[in-house]
Parts: sequence; structure tokens; C-alpha cells
Amino acid sequence: MKVIADLHIHGRYSRATSQQMSLKEIARFAKVKGLNLVGTGDFTHPKWLREIKDTLVPEEGTGLYRVFDDAASQVHFVLSTEVCTVFNAGEEAKKVHHVILTPSLETAEQINDVLARYGDLGADGRPLLNMTAAQLVEEVMATSSGNMVFPAHAWTPWFSIFGAFSGFNSVEECYDDMTKHVHALETGLSSDPPMNWRLSKLDRFTLLSNSDSHSFWPWRLGREANVFELEEISYREVVDAIRCKDHSRLKFTIETDPAYGKYHWTGHRACNVSLSPQEAQKLGNVCPVCRRKLTKGVEQRVEELADRPADFKPENTPGFMRVLPLSEIIATVLGVDSPSTQAVWKIYNSLINRFGDEYTVLLDAPADMLLDVVEAAIAEAILQVRAGAVKVVPGYDGVYGKLVLGAGASAEKARRGRVQQLNLADFW
Amino acid sequence: MFKLKVSDAKLLRDMVTAISILVDEATFKIEPEGLKLRAMDPSRVAMIDFEWPKTVFEEYVCEAPSKMCINISELLRLLKRAGKDEAVELSLDEKTGRLQIKITGKYSRNFNMPTLEASEEEVPTPKITFNVKAKATTQGLSQAIEDAQLVSDHVRIEADTEKLVLNATGDLMGATITLQKGSDALLDLEVKENSKATFSLSYLAEIIKAASATSDIATLEFSTDMPIKIDFQQTKEGKLTFFLAPRIESE
Repeated sequence: MKVIADLHIHGRYSRATSQQMSLKEIARFAKVKGLNLVGTGDFTHPKWLREIKDTLVPEEGTGLYRVFDDAASQVHFVLSTEVCTVFNAGEEAKKVHHVILTPSLETAEQINDVLARYGDLGADGRPLLNMTAAQLVEEVMATSSGNMVFPAHAWTPWFSIFGAFSGFNSVEECYDDMTKHVHALETGLSSDPPMNWRLSKLDRFTLLSNSDSHSFWPWRLGREANVFELEEISYREVVDAIRCKDHSRLKFTIETDPAYGKYHWTGHRACNVSLSPQEAQKLGNVCPVCRRKLTKGVEQRVEELADRPADFKPENTPGFMRVLPLSEIIATVLGVDSPSTQAVWKIYNSLINRFGDEYTVLLDAPADMLLDVVEAAIAEAILQVRAGAVKVVPGYDGVYGKLVLGAGASAEKARRGRVQQLNLADFW
Repeated sequence: MFKLKVSDAKLLRDMVTAISILVDEATFKIEPEGLKLRAMDPSRVAMIDFEWPKTVFEEYVCEAPSKMCINISELLRLLKRAGKDEAVELSLDEKTGRLQIKITGKYSRNFNMPTLEASEEEVPTPKITFNVKAKATTQGLSQAIEDAQLVSDHVRIEADTEKLVLNATGDLMGATITLQKGSDALLDLEVKENSKATFSLSYLAEIIKAASATSDIATLEFSTDMPIKIDFQQTKEGKLTFFLAPRIESE
């Protein structure tokens, strides 16, 4: 059976997360999105764990859970959390985020008992732990060999394994002798598989894509996901497919254009400065407006560590498909700033009513059937995104990338303010 | 052997301040004729081209050409200890490689600081044909730049035969500052071709503010979308010139 999984989201007790974030709402919008497996997020947080226990019931023999009063639900939950380890490596302070998956509430509580020794689990849905990344893996895997740990959003400038500000240059440097238990890494919004394929040292790791969503709205939840083809939906099957990097079971990942991510290019949000890796290098990674160090983007960081050309594709590895949130596509066509406007919802709902869920609209719906439901401009935009024939003005320093369709008003708006700073070497 | 002495510490302090705007570590060329520095900031957006002939100094000794690299902000910290009419003497202790700084006035102070590995990079100046040459007071220029900074982080400088115009456009506000030829602020203007170019205000403001302490008159030279050259006329002999690369609108 086809399983579309978003394994990394957050509950309402994580910072900057919607207070409306409840497991029932997550299940409701996961169905709209087309997800049938979602991480619970934040099982380390005592109050969120209470909600998990109150809202979800185990599905016997699967290691998964569902909402208690919806026996027919097609949306399953896997117990997941994200933690931040804070430690010193040499003289540098390192802050690295990791995703943990576990097969049962019992093992989740055992993990919590251990991790509570390293930090205050109730302080945040994504707790800070004073332990090394290797200690984390050792402790979690000692609790149950069925658990899984992998680095979260591996390339973002802050709080990630390869991050420009406090990251490492290899998985092994981060996890030390516990690397043997690390089988995957989450590519994050600002990088995609082709960017990661450029590092031969990542060949043995399975590349996962999740939303890291802080809200249940469909332009956040499931914006990136993993598509499995499994004998049955179970924790063991999912984790085994990831561990084995089995492309017959983990078929492909759903990716936004990496330029859509908030940290794809190098720049300064406050200074409205956005630079390609080449431009940033020419400027010595110094902001031409405020003259402070730039926030180095993921593309530039990948470029630093890559040992293969940009078009390299390894064999026998899961593929990927590029999409953008349907609400964002509609909002761009309508020329409105927010995907949450009534006008966007009206068109969005008409498509969901016709095709069942968002992924079907984005990935499978035939052109003629789309035209039965929406105006040509919307249908055309969906097909353009599916074909990868759209331009995304790259995100930088916390600013999301912006979809540009055609040469209309939105394209003009996205271009505005893009001022390039030349340097004197251009005039020698 | 290298040694120099200035009778007024302010002269040296103002010049080192102007250098510190762009570079943290400066490699000076010490030549029998005088002291030179040409360096770019780390982003290579701006360049300083500085020369002080030996006649500027009360005493100047250079037995053989050499290079000396020093941490400018550290040197500035020490020079700030000197009062207006106090004398400063710099000399290089060749045995230890340390720079000796002697400040004499009401009392005498001796500081020393390490020199750093000198840069071997020879920095060329940009090759540009300038179509506009404008001579302005540094005070007028400073005020115009401050006006523009109220609304934006960059400014478009335009010139025709009659005037120099600074246009700044921010997200909410805009500003147009006009300096008419022959006015108190714009002393002279030569224009071969109408030109315009956009520059970062943070660079311009810092350069003009710091260099104004050494000069009352600045000569601006630029062409469309090319670097601007700003030469600050020194009260004594010497040269203090900055180049600043433009910003351009792009897709």
C-alpha cells in the first residue's frame, strides 16, 4: 500500500507553534493533504504526551496510533519528537537538532525518563539537552533498538548538523562512534536530494523529507513528505525501509523547490540582501548594506562540502518529485499575499472536493479534469509546478522563497528590491 | 629602521580612523619617500588609497623599503589616548617585530603592539573613465548623505551639467537632494555625459564622516553604473582617496 508520511511536525507546546495545533486537527488536515502517516511531534513534552495519550489509541501490532473516536481513519500517527543537543566540540559550541521515532508509548516514556536527566523536557516541545549528539543516540538506542534517530533539517544555518554557524563537515564528526545507528538525514526545505547527492560521504544515508510544520494548515503540513510502497503500514516496515535505504519500498520524497526554503540563498533579512553563493563569495560573505557577516545559505554550504558536480545522480536511490503547496500556487495566481484568504480557500476546497486530497491534485490530476473545476490560469499553474517549469525567487535568512508565474504582477513584485552589490574586482 | 613623528596626534588619529572604516588589518608600504596604503574591505566593495609623503611628518626615517601590517582598531585604541596637541612617535623594533608608540605631551607614555604578517596582495585601482567630476564641501556632502539615510539604505547619484542630485527611495519614504552647481555645497561640476549610479549609504556615510575630519573639500568622480572615486583634499600634503563599487538593479 502507498504510504505518504510526514514524520516531523510540532505540537502546540513548541515555540512559535499554532495554539490550535491539536492531534485531531492534525489528523483532519493530514487527510486533506493526502498524508496517511504523520509524526505526533513532541512526545518528550509532558503536556503534549498527555494529549497523545488522551487522543490517540494504538493500532494493534503496528507500532502506530490513530485518533480514538475515528476507527475508520486513514491517518495514522507515529510517535516522534525533535530535540536540540547543546555541546562543545573542541572549542566550538554546537547546537544540533535531531528527530527521534519510537514504536510505542512505553518506549517513548523510557526515552523521556533518560533524556530528563539532560534537560527540562517541559520547557519546550523541542527541548534543549546538555549532551553530545553521540550520547543522545547511545541513550535512545539503549532504550530500544527499534528507535530511530536522524539529524533534522540537516543544512539550515543554525541548529543543524551541517549548518554554516555551528555545524560539522560530516555525519561522523557529529555522531562519532554512534554514527553506526544513524541511517538517515532530513534534507530540510532549503535543500533537495540532488544537492545532497553532491556529497559522496552521504551516499549510505537515506534522504528523508518532512515538513517540520508548526501549524496544521495545508500550506505547512506535509509540504515535504516521504512516499513508501509497503506490504502493510507499520512502524517496523517504515523504519526498516529507511534503514535499508530500500528504494523498492521508499519510492520517492516529495520536495518543495529548495529555493522555496527560508535559508536557500545567503543574505540578510533586515537589509533586504539576497545573494547567490557566487555573489556572496565575491563579497567575502559580508553584507553590502550593514557590513556584518551574512547568514550563509544552504546552497553555499553545500557548495563548500560538495565533491561532485551539480548534475550527479547516484544509482539505486529513491527519487523525488517537486511540488509547492497548492494554496501558495492559487495565491500566486490570484496575486494575493496570503494563502489563507477566503478566495484561495474557495478554489482550494473545490479542488479537494473533486480530487479527494491535495497531493492528488498536485501530482496526478489530469489537465482536462483540472479545467473542469478551476480556471485555466490555476490549472496551468498546477501543471507548470508539476513539470518544474516555474521560477522561485530564492528564500534567504528566514524569508521564504517566492513562486513566480509568468511575467505578471507577482513576478514584478518578487523582483522588486533585488539590488545587486557589485565589488571592485568587477572593474579591474 | 623605520620611525615617524607627528607633532599633533589628531592628524594621525583622524587618518587611522579613516582607514579603520574599511580594514581591520592594514599592510602599509614604508618607502623612503613616505607611507602608502592601498587596501579593500573584506567584501571588496570599497577601497582606500592613502599616501603620506615624508614631508607631512616632523620626523620620518626609512632606511629601506619594507611592509608593516598592523591591527588598525588596536592602534586606534592607543592613539585615542593622545590629546590634541600631544606628539606621537611610531617606530618599529626590528628585533621583536613590535611597533612602539610613544605619546608625549603633559606626560610621556610608551605602548607597544605586535605587527602581523604583511599581505603580499598588490591591489590595483579600478580602470574607469569618469564622465562626472564634482567638487563639493565635505560638510555639504555629509548633510546630503544624512538626509538620504533617513529614508533608505542606498542612494542614486545623478549628474547633469547644472546639478548633482541624490535620490533615495525606501519602502515607505523617498528623498531628493539637489546640489546646484556654484552653490555653497557644490563648488564645481564638470560633466562629459549625464550619469547616474547607485551606492550603499552605509559605506558612503562612514567614509565621508571619517574622511571629513581630515578634509574640507572632496572631489567625486563617477560614470553610469561604475564605481565612484572620492578624493579628499588634504590640508597638508598627501592623498586620501576612496573607491566604492555601485549597486545595480537586477533580476
